[in-house]
Amino acid sequence: MATNTQQQISVTDLDVPQLADVRRQLDEELTHLTNSFTQLKQAQAKFRSCIDNVAEVKPSNKNTTILVPLTNSLYVPGKLRDLENVIVDVGTGYYVKKTRAQATKHYQSKVDYLQSNLETLQETILKKQENLTFVVNVLQSKIQAQSPAGTRNTKD
Amino acid sequence: MASTEEIQENNPRGIPKAPFISDVEGYIGGPDGEVESALKKAQDALAKYRYMDANLTQRRRGLEEKIPDIRKTLNMVEYLNERRVSKHKTDGLEEDLEELGLEDDEASEKPLVTTFELNETLFAEAELEDTDVVYLWLGANVMLSYKIPEAIELLATKLKNAEASLQGLQDDLEFLREQITVMEVNTARLYNWDVVRRRERRSKEAAASTE
Repeated sequence: MATNTQQQISVTDLDVPQLADVRRQLDEELTHLTNSFTQLKQAQAKFRSCIDNVAEVKPSNKNTTILVPLTNSLYVPGKLRDLENVIVDVGTGYYVKKTRAQATKHYQSKVDYLQSNLETLQETILKKQENLTFVVNVLQSKIQAQSPAGTRNTKD
Repeated sequence: MASTEEIQENNPRGIPKAPFISDVEGYIGGPDGEVESALKKAQDALAKYRYMDANLTQRRRGLEEKIPDIRKTLNMVEYLNERRVSKHKTDGLEEDLEELGLEDDEASEKPLVTTFELNETLFAEAELEDTDVVYLWLGANVMLSYKIPEAIELLATKLKNAEASLQGLQDDLEFLREQITVMEVNTARLYNWDVVRRRERRSKEAAASTE
C-alpha cells in the first residue's frame, strides 16, 4: 500500500480520529498550495502584460498624443519622448533604464521563471491530492468496519 | 413613561442615544418584573451599535485612503497652472525683450518631461503638452476633461467635503463607542440585578419551606 514517505507509521494503522486529523491537515495544506498557485499565476499575467506594454512604446507611436497619468486620478495629454528606453523596477528600490529589447527580455525571463515554479507547484498539489484521496478512503473503510461492529455491540 | 422619551434622543446624525438605566427595578417595573425582554432589548441595541461601528470604520478607512490622493491631484493641477501662468507671462515679456535685442534662454521652450507609470514595474518618458485642459478620473469608468481653473475648483471642493465627512465620521465613531459602553454596562446591571433577585427568592422560599 502506498504510504506517505514522511510518516514512519503506515496510515492504515491510525484510528478514526487521527485519520480525521490527518485529513484536515492535508486539506489545509492543499488550500494553501492552491492559493499560492493562483497568486503565482496572477503575477505571471502581470509580467506578460508588461511585455505588451513595452511593445507599445514603439517608434511608430512617436507623435501620437497619449494621456499621461500624473496621479491616480489626473491625466494630462502628452507625447512619448524616449521611444528606445523604458525604466524597469528590478526590486529592492532599484530602477534601471533599459532598451526596449532588454526590458522585453527581462520580463520574459521572469515569466519563464514563474512558469517553472508553477509546474513544480502543480506536481506538489497533485501529489497532495493523491495522499488526501488515499487518507479519505482509509478513513471511510475504517468507519464502515467500525459501525457494523458498533451496532453489533449495542444490540447485545 | 419618562423613560421612553429619553430613548428617542438622537445625536446630530441620527444615532440613537443609549439610556443609562440607573434604577433597574424601576425600569423593569417592580421586583417581579420580567428581565428577559429587557436583556434582549439591550442585546439588540448592542448588536445594532456594533454593526454601525463596523460600517463607519470601513467608511473612514476608505476616506483616509482617498484624501491624500485628492490632495496630490490638487497640488499637481495647481503646479501645472502656475507653469502655464508664468509661461504666458514670460511670453509677453519675451516680445519686449526681443525688441530690446535681449534674449531669455529659458524662453517658451520648456516642456515638462516626466516619467510615468505604464504598468506596475514599468515606466516610460513622456513630454507634457502645453494645454489648458486636464482630465480627471472620477471613478466608475468615468473620466471628464476640465479646464484647469475648473479642475482646481472641483478638486478643492472634493477635498473639503471629504475632510468634513471624515471629521463627522470620527465624531460619530466616538459617540458610538460611548453608547456601546453604556449598553454593555446596562446589560451587566440587568443581569446582576436578576441574579440578586433570584438568590433572594431562593432564600425566601427556603425560609418559607422550613417554617
